[in-house]
Amino acid sequence: MKNKLALLALSAQKINRQHVQLVFVLVSLAMLVLGTGAPLDGGGVGR
Amino acid sequence: MILLLALAAGLLTGLVWARWRGYPYQTPELQHLWLVIVAFLPQLVVIYLPITRENFPEWLVAGCLLVSQIMLLGFAWLNRRISGMTILICGVALNLAVMAANSGFMPINPQTASRLVSEDRLLDFHPGSRFGTKDILLHPQDTRFEWLADRFLPPVWFPYQVAFSLGDVLIALGAFWMLAKPAAPLQITNRGIRI
Repeated sequence: MKNKLALLALSAQKINRQHVQLVFVLVSLAMLVLGTGAPLDGGGVGR
Repeated sequence: MILLLALAAGLLTGLVWARWRGYPYQTPELQHLWLVIVAFLPQLVVIYLPITRENFPEWLVAGCLLVSQIMLLGFAWLNRRISGMTILICGVALNLAVMAANSGFMPINPQTASRLVSEDRLLDFHPGSRFGTKDILLHPQDTRFEWLADRFLPPVWFPYQVAFSLGDVLIALGAFWMLAKPAAPLQITNRGIRI
């Protein structure tokens, strides 16, 4: 258990500011393209 | 789906490119991120969330779509200096123009629609009715700016059939370019700063 916690803490340390920024940018761009684009596939019909 | 694939492909290309050049990947420095969240919210409620999307009349959905797209265009404009954003802005403007001119929805003609659903299912829709999330079924002669509508399709043999517009192509290209070719980091040399 102690080892797992240490491993988790080590992984958390590896998440630096750039990674967080990249996630924010990717989520923002995903919202931008989903919000502005209007492609339609068969699965979107009749929902 | 195809737009998210363009994002994923752009990111992958950018990561490989950065590694090949030997510098860390530089995330595009988007400003005013709050605006994209606020702008997307109306669409999330009236288009995407299954719990809420059934409860709104068509005119309100169309209005929310247009307001949302105008705000997203504003966000893109505020970030126009980022590479690829100009292409994306052109795509957004084209989609916005054709949707605004056709009751707030993206027009699709019955012939194109027949490639996405079976003929039997298509009979359930009459011209002028909403078709899918953002589209409206319209005959070409009743469509304003028909050349900007969802009129392009992949080849018949392609397993994933999707109708898309010229604006969608530009949006996908812009998004791809933004992530595939982010700015190189500044390098300080004995001759000064080099980009």
